[in-house]
This record gives sequence, structure tokens and C-alpha cells, in this order.
Amino acid sequence: MQFIESIGATTLNFIRVIGKIVLFIYLFFRFIFKPKFYFRHNLKYFIEIFISSIPIIALTGIFSGMVLALQSYTGFSRFSAESAIPNIVVLTLTRELGPVLTGLMISARVGSAIAAEIATMRVTEQIDALKTLNTNYFNYLVTPRVLSLTLAMPIFVTIVDFIGVAGGYLVSVYRLGFNENMYLINTIDFISFSDYLSGVIKATVFGFIISIISCYNGLYSKKGAFGVGSATTNAVVISSILILIFNYFLTEVFF
Amino acid sequence: MEIKIEKLSKKFGANHVLKNINLLIEKNKSTIILGKSGCGKSVLLKIIYQLIKNDEGSIFYDKKKIVDIDKFGMLFQYGALFDSLTVAENIAFIDFIDGKKNYKNKVINSLKEVGLSADIYDKYPSEISGGMKKRVALARALFKNPKVIFLDEPTTGLDPINSDMINELIIRIIKKKKMTAVTITHDIQSALKTGDNYFFLNNGVVEDSGKCNLMLKSKNKLMNEFLLGVKKLQNS
Ligand SMILES: Nc1ncnc2c1ncn2[C@@H]1O[C@H](COP(=O)(O)OP(=O)(O)OP(=O)(O)O)[C@@H](O)[C@H]1O
Ligand SMILES: [Mg+2]
Repeated sequence: MQFIESIGATTLNFIRVIGKIVLFIYLFFRFIFKPKFYFRHNLKYFIEIFISSIPIIALTGIFSGMVLALQSYTGFSRFSAESAIPNIVVLTLTRELGPVLTGLMISARVGSAIAAEIATMRVTEQIDALKTLNTNYFNYLVTPRVLSLTLAMPIFVTIVDFIGVAGGYLVSVYRLGFNENMYLINTIDFISFSDYLSGVIKATVFGFIISIISCYNGLYSKKGAFGVGSATTNAVVISSILILIFNYFLTEVFF
Repeated sequence: MEIKIEKLSKKFGANHVLKNINLLIEKNKSTIILGKSGCGKSVLLKIIYQLIKNDEGSIFYDKKKIVDIDKFGMLFQYGALFDSLTVAENIAFIDFIDGKKNYKNKVINSLKEVGLSADIYDKYPSEISGGMKKRVALARALFKNPKVIFLDEPTTGLDPINSDMINELIIRIIKKKKMTAVTITHDIQSALKTGDNYFFLNNGVVEDSGKCNLMLKSKNKLMNEFLLGVKKLQNS
């Protein structure tokens, strides 16, 4: 009996949170058209997260590409289908691994920082202070983060695609003895713009998910150091799970 | 601005903090809010500022229920400085966020006004002391030239010299700039010096009120208990 009750409570809670997040997204679209927009502040934030994320983006790309080449070699050499490796690397990266891994890494790197920063501001009354300084606090805190991440993710995933292909190339040519030109030709011949585009669209959606979930958790965190901690954890866990779920459904759409 | 509060109440869960608050903040006067720690003074200030919603009761700002809170300014009890911005960006925040850049002299003047040197202009809040943070926060609250200023313990954590300087500053701004001030303080000397009227909160209601210069002669039993320490000091 208790077990069923707890399932009921969890379900209700889940629906309540979904409702609040939908409301939060509605707020975002309402505020973005309200004065003031704080253009310089938005730009500064974009540059900040862009630069600070480049190292982990590069690392994600190079190692994913390298391991993809190595793993597909183990599989495909059994059917003497090694020549498919360049296609496998580039397709898996652009359509699947690029956006998903970038999304998960950025949610850990940027999403957690967003939630912790906003939650700390709430706990230390800085958000109240914003309201007392004639500021549209939503456009000061939430808008730059959501816009920056949503716009940066397609760029990040493009970088991951390129560096990943380079990683695959390095392993294939220098470790597995592929012909350099053949590898490049096979890569370019097989990738179509729609493959790349599907990855970019996924990344954009993931960027929106990460930023909305992280801002939401920060803004509505509980008070105290505990509140900051759980806001950060929730932001990363919820956005990572949503990335995996949305990834499946977006893949269905682009299939 | 005159602010009238009627039958105001506020609960946090089972914690009934403010039960029935009635008080009048007179225009261009300095009103002092007194009361034991945890009695709801900070909550009351935030309700008047509309940062927190009250459960029941009404607030009239110049007889109207609606007010433009941009006319208010607030010094928060713990400063609430933006820790990602420098001292100067904090103080001149309303200019900084609009992309204006020519606030340097104004900020240096504000710093002087609260007894701070221009050396800390480019420092971050984490690099200055607690008392300095409080004064930077005060400078930030005054920078926008509000019509009503709410001060949550402006002299707590300051040494006697600086705390007296802040008292003088409060007196000056009320007289010269014709501001209405609402100050929470545990510092009775400061209340006597800077206040016109006082309200003493206890157990969710206004237990005692009156003119500050008659505060020490109050007949109220609880108020007298509250003032006991101060009176002993004066008699010795
Ligand atoms: N956001 C909140 N959520 C829940 N309870 C709160 C909240 N803010 C204040 N309280 C409670 O309201 C009561 C009054 O708090 P308040 O900060 O107004 O006290 P205070 O009179 O300013 O005390 P002090 O002199 O120590 O600053 C306290 O019991 C506090 O726990
Ligand atoms: Mg307080």
C-alpha cells in the first residue's frame, strides 16, 4: 500500500515539476520581448561561456573520434569491412555522439555553474537586490544564459564534429594504416548536409534544455548551502536525462 | 512618501511571524523599527518593498495601493552585493547595466560619503571586510537617489567611529535630500540620534510606538525590558 502511495506521490510531483518548467519557458518567451534587453551583458556572457567551454569541447571531440575509429575497426575487420570506418566515424559523430556527448559535457560544465550561481544569488538575497535596482531580473539572469547556450551549442557541436573526424583520421591513418587520401574522400563522400543539420538541431534543443533546467533549478532553489547543492545536482541530472530522452525522439523525427 | 500599514499579517508555514501590524511611516521622517532578533523586522521591510507578499492586510503608499518600487532603495541586512561585480560596478549598478561608463567620479564621491577610500574601487566584494561590504551596499542603495530608503541594520558590524559617521550620513540625507527613511536597528544610540518615530515589534504586533526622543521614558513594560541594558549603561 505504502509502495503504491509513494509511486503516486512521485508521479504527482513529477507532473507538478513539468508544469512549473512549462510555465518557466512561457515566462522566458514573455520576458525576452520586454524592456530592457541588456545587449552588452548578453554578449559578454556568450563570450564567457564560449571561451571557457572550448577546452572540454575539444577533448570530447578528439577522444570520441579516436575511440570510434578504434572500436569500429574491431567490429568491422571481422567482416573485412574496414573501408566503412570513415563513414561510421563521421555519421556517428555528426548524427549522434557529437550532440549527445557535447550536451552531457556542457550540462556538467555550464549547467551546473548556472544553477550554482543563481542559487547562491538567491540565498544571499542578490536576486532581491536586483529587484531593488530597477532591473528586470529575469532578463538579467535567465535570458543571457538561455540565449547564449542555445546559440553556442550548434557551434560547439560543429567543432566536435571537425575535431572528432580529425581524431578518427589520426587513429585510422597512423595506428590502423589507412591511406590518408582514401580516408578523407570516404569521409566527405558519405556525409550529407542533412546529417550535419540533424546534429545541429539536436544540439540547439539540448542547449535550450540545459539552460532552462539549470536556470529553473537555481531560481527556485531551497535556502541555504544545501539548497545550492541540490539545485546543482538536480540541474545536471534532470538536463542529462532530458537530453537522452529528447535525443531518442529527435532521432525518430530525423530517421 | 507616506506609508500606512493596516492589519498586516504573514505566515511561513506554521510560523506566524507578523500577526497584526498597524503602523504609519511619515513622509520625510526617519522611522525606526525595533524588536528582538527573529521577530520579523526584515520580513516586514521586504513586504513593504513588495519583495515578499503578505498574507493579509493592506499597505497604502501615499494613500494608494499601487506604487512604483523604482522609487525605493534598500540596504539589505547582509549587504547582498553582487559577488561577480567590482565595488564600483555594484555601487553604480543602474548605470553599469545600461552600458553607461561615466560613473567614476560619482562612485568615488559615494565611497567617500560612506567613509571608504577610492582604493577599493576595482576590488571584488570577497576582497573587502564585512563592515566595508555593508557600507558599499549602503552606497549602492543611495546611488539611485531613492525617495524612500529602507535600511536593515546599517550600523551593525561597524566600529563606533564608522557607525557614528553612518548615523550622520543618514541624518544628512533625510534632511538635505528630503528622503523618507525606515531603519531597522539594534543600536539604541543610533535610533535616538537618527530617528523621529519608533515602532517596537513583539510577538507579531506593534507593542509600543512613539517619538524617539521620548523612547527611554516609555511606560510599556516589554519595551522597558528591551531597553534595560541601554538604561543601565546610561545610569552608570
Ligand atoms: N523566506 C523565508 N522562509 C521561511 N521563513 C522565513 C523566511 N524569511 C524569514 N523567515 C522567518 O521569519 C522570522 C523573522 O525573520 P526576520 O529575518 O524578519 O527576523 P528579524 O527580526 O529581521 O531578525 P534579526 O534581528 O535577527 O535580523 C524568522 O523566524 C525566520 O525564520
Ligand atoms: Mg533582520
